[in-house]
Amino acid sequence: MRQETKEYKFDWMLWNTFAAASRLKSGSPKEYQAMLKYIPYFSRIVDTILSTGEPGQKFIEICSKYMENLTFAKEKGKKTAITTFCFSPAIFYAMDIVPICLEVLSVMMTFIYKRGTSEFLDYCNEVGFTETSCSSQRGTVGAYLAGIGTDVDMFVTDTPGVCDTNANAFSFASAYLNKPFFQLDMPPDLTGQRSNEYHREDFRALIRFLEAQTGKKLDYARLTENLRELARQDEIIAELEDLARIVPSPVPVPYNLMIYASRFLFAGMPECTGVLESMLKVARDNAAKNISGLSGGKEKLRAFFCYIDHYAQNMQLWQMLDDNGICYQGNILSHFWSHNAPHVAHYHKEDAAYHIDTSSEDALIDSLGMINSRMPMIKSIRGPYDAPNMWLEDTLGLAKIYNADFIVYNGTPGCRNTWGMVKLLARDTEKAGYPTYIMYADAFDSRVQSWEATEERFMEFLKVRRLV
Amino acid sequence: MIKEFIEASTALNNKYVAAWKKDGKKVVGYTCSYVPDEIFHAAGILPFRVRGFGATDTTIGDTYFGPFICSLPKCMLQLAGEGKFNFLDGAIITPGCDSMRRLDECWRKAGKDIEGAIPSFFFHYGVPHKYEDYTIKWFTEETRRLIAAVEEHFNVKITDANLKKAISVYNESRRLLDRFEALRTLDEPPFSGEEALAVILAGTTMPREEYNTLLEEFIAQAEKSPGIKNRVRLMLVGSANDDIGLVRVMEGEKALVVADNLCFGSRFYTDQVGENGDPVFELSKRYLGHNDCPRMYGDYQRRLNILEQKVKRAKIDGVVLQNIRFCDLHGAENGIFERDLEAKDIPCMRLEREYGPLVETGRMKMRVDAFIERIQQRREVA
Amino acid sequence: MFAAGCDVGSLTSKAVIMKDGKIIESVIIKSKARPWESADEVMNIVLNRAGLTMKDIKSCVGTGYGRDKISFVHEAVSEIACHGKGARWLVPTVRTVIDIGGQDCKALRLDDKGNMVKFITNDKCASGTGRFLEVMAKVMHLNLDELGEMSAKSKQPVTFASACTVWAQADVIQHLNDRVPIEDIAAGVNNAMASRMSTLANNIGLERDVCMTGGVAKNSGVVNALEKQLGIRIKRIRREDPQIAGAIGAALFAAEKANGGAK
Repeated sequence: MRQETKEYKFDWMLWNTFAAASRLKSGSPKEYQAMLKYIPYFSRIVDTILSTGEPGQKFIEICSKYMENLTFAKEKGKKTAITTFCFSPAIFYAMDIVPICLEVLSVMMTFIYKRGTSEFLDYCNEVGFTETSCSSQRGTVGAYLAGIGTDVDMFVTDTPGVCDTNANAFSFASAYLNKPFFQLDMPPDLTGQRSNEYHREDFRALIRFLEAQTGKKLDYARLTENLRELARQDEIIAELEDLARIVPSPVPVPYNLMIYASRFLFAGMPECTGVLESMLKVARDNAAKNISGLSGGKEKLRAFFCYIDHYAQNMQLWQMLDDNGICYQGNILSHFWSHNAPHVAHYHKEDAAYHIDTSSEDALIDSLGMINSRMPMIKSIRGPYDAPNMWLEDTLGLAKIYNADFIVYNGTPGCRNTWGMVKLLARDTEKAGYPTYIMYADAFDSRVQSWEATEERFMEFLKVRRLV
Repeated sequence: MIKEFIEASTALNNKYVAAWKKDGKKVVGYTCSYVPDEIFHAAGILPFRVRGFGATDTTIGDTYFGPFICSLPKCMLQLAGEGKFNFLDGAIITPGCDSMRRLDECWRKAGKDIEGAIPSFFFHYGVPHKYEDYTIKWFTEETRRLIAAVEEHFNVKITDANLKKAISVYNESRRLLDRFEALRTLDEPPFSGEEALAVILAGTTMPREEYNTLLEEFIAQAEKSPGIKNRVRLMLVGSANDDIGLVRVMEGEKALVVADNLCFGSRFYTDQVGENGDPVFELSKRYLGHNDCPRMYGDYQRRLNILEQKVKRAKIDGVVLQNIRFCDLHGAENGIFERDLEAKDIPCMRLEREYGPLVETGRMKMRVDAFIERIQQRREVA
Repeated sequence: MFAAGCDVGSLTSKAVIMKDGKIIESVIIKSKARPWESADEVMNIVLNRAGLTMKDIKSCVGTGYGRDKISFVHEAVSEIACHGKGARWLVPTVRTVIDIGGQDCKALRLDDKGNMVKFITNDKCASGTGRFLEVMAKVMHLNLDELGEMSAKSKQPVTFASACTVWAQADVIQHLNDRVPIEDIAAGVNNAMASRMSTLANNIGLERDVCMTGGVAKNSGVVNALEKQLGIRIKRIRREDPQIAGAIGAALFAAEKANGGAK
């Protein structure tokens, strides 16, 4: 890590960048254009997001708010927990703990800095972490290992049983920094009495852990409020997902990212609801006018990503899709499993979905346990890919309901789990009639494969398979 | 005597397996040290630890697994695809780690493409990643599920009485291995680390009663044998290793591996299974709780303590922390082990390797030699 | 009394003859397919030049990949120890040595008495080795020396996949096709190399003074980039060619053996 990188607090830098970006539109259009020149590596993404109007403005604002919470957590006397994207932060907010979501911060960093997270990625290796570990956690945890982030009080993850490299990053960092660690462990089956009981017991253990760490009892009134807000968010997301099924889809390409990022940052908080509501408004308007969400106005193809996106600088993936008239029908991260989600109702997967029940304290905790065990990735990457409720079923189901023309896999070389079965998955999705493309890039580290090379190969695939 | 162990540890379908099969009895393979052998013993089935030893390439493995995957399960699948595990009547897969648990799907699909590549009984055995009352409970139920499946498929009855008998046979084995360990860690051990690994490995490939008999004879003989002098004493830690050749390369002329913390090594005999109480519960408790793999997240300190005790007991001069490429669990933990052990003045060397035919011996030897030179230099200075 | 060191590497072989702590003669040749052939040839040349025969050499130590296969050496010592020894002779204040050889790279730390405290080497792949630079230079139609000089002229170095030689090669070709200035590509290659090395060096913990040995130490582009990455000055070796550090170390070990182990 360069000396100058160590000079600044990592989260403070991110907060400043997003705070400044959130104020960009307060000036005149001419001032706005003039300002963009001063942020050469960040300008395209800011412009892409802000050009979506109110939703984009609100989205940047909540990113800034999140970073502000994190940067000043200690000054406000709050506890901090390093956690993961597939862990619903609702419980942290109910217990007044500031969640530090590694992967989301890695995406922010990758989007806006010239060097992305490379220095933090490499720093992890310098202190003993394997370079084959997943870049999504390494990209941020490196900053905390180097001591240039907010003080961390604990590590909490829910990926054991789902993803080794994720869980291991937490376990490594907690041992390295000698901080308390808690894991929610996931059995191979999603449903059934044994799994339900296990999830419940485990979640209760989590609450005991958090209570011990904060010295405070869980505030059930607050939790009720958060879960009601979460239910409201689920309704909005369900409607957005329903709208996305219309041809042409009225939902703009960047919305997917904005939906899941908002949820990962502020599930159960009004900040997230605000972004979702404004997105819904635009999508409804577009639908009423039968307008495509693509900026070119014409929908040529529909893509479903069966794993994660590619977070190259400047949102180049989204740009590429938008430029080519490819309607982006989401990925495994952007689909939640609330009982009212369209894919749940369509395939009668009520068993695999969660319900929010705020009628009693026990019901609240059970609801949280269910929500967490059904988070993106946690739900469908645990058991064998071809088992009920798992990766293949979800991929084919979602691709079908959204009328996808093809399926794309993208991950990171650190993903032992999906790389262990993606060839088999692709074999089956091809058999089901979906041209399937496996990207060999690293979603968080363009040093593995440059974006230019990634884009070229992606377009080559479309050509070879005569999709364009 | 040692020849028997070496043969049993270097041939897959060794003479004990062949004799067992000739009697019309069944063999079930398992891939991970979290599977209780005793269950199969109680069913009159030979438990056999599935290995990747002897694979010369991974063309079949690479057909199903993606590129960023540990070469151990790839080698296992390779051997299965080549028909080398045709003697197996069943296989148990666990989520020991992500690479290993995807052997489930990959082996099943290979079984569809290649005739006879997969045994008729195939079972995914879940293993929690933490040790708590409710996880032991879940694991006990999982073990009962496994028992029921074995009973049904092989048309056998696994009674509590038979389980208790099996536990006592295996505990006897563990007691013998404790005596063996005491010899291994003597100032002048009567056998090399390569031989020690052969002895331990053989236990996973042959009937336990015969193994115990052989082991007892071996110990009696070793107790009378002259010791090996003047070697640098190493401990081997990290990823799975079932290749005695790897230990041979490390030992060379100057070193001796006198202790390990490997799942194909000493982890099996670190603790006994309780002989009173419900046998399924006792087995589940022991296999989940005393099997010190970094897959049990958040338990680093305990594992560090174990290493420190071993270093002291075996008078270790240096610790070799190795991991197979893409084994992040061991690789990362090795990184912290190195920091913490070196801070206590215990020399460590990290080594990343590929599983499979020993093609990198030159590079590995160069590093181990340099490590030994470092240790010798320390001694001279002291 | 003459002592010799012979370092048989994957790309080059080196031999050094010393007398009373001074270098009498040294030679670097390209390695042959078989290590013993390289050893014989390099030793013959160095002896010839010094006007000596093998009988005059009281003690000879072999090092490098082929060290066990050399018939004429009295003892083999690992190249890690030899590079440490050689580097300390070249720069007496050295505590951290970064060596980039043809197909491997290593970093090692010495204590104040020159004892090896810690070392690390790269694993398997050619990234971060001399071979990486060689492959990249070839694609750009440069020779190795030019690669270093070129990068000094760069204003906007390209960012590279530091992870893999094969992929980086594809990227170089792409940049060439895109008409990116060659000095920017060269600087990018050197930076990628330096970044790989700095991770390795930081892994063992840096202590001053730091020096670089091996053929790549002659590439000013990499050395400058590495200094920037590490934020520490790298002492340049001027006394001798940094590429023969391993052979010097071997000769020093040989002299010690001949003197009955005295340091």
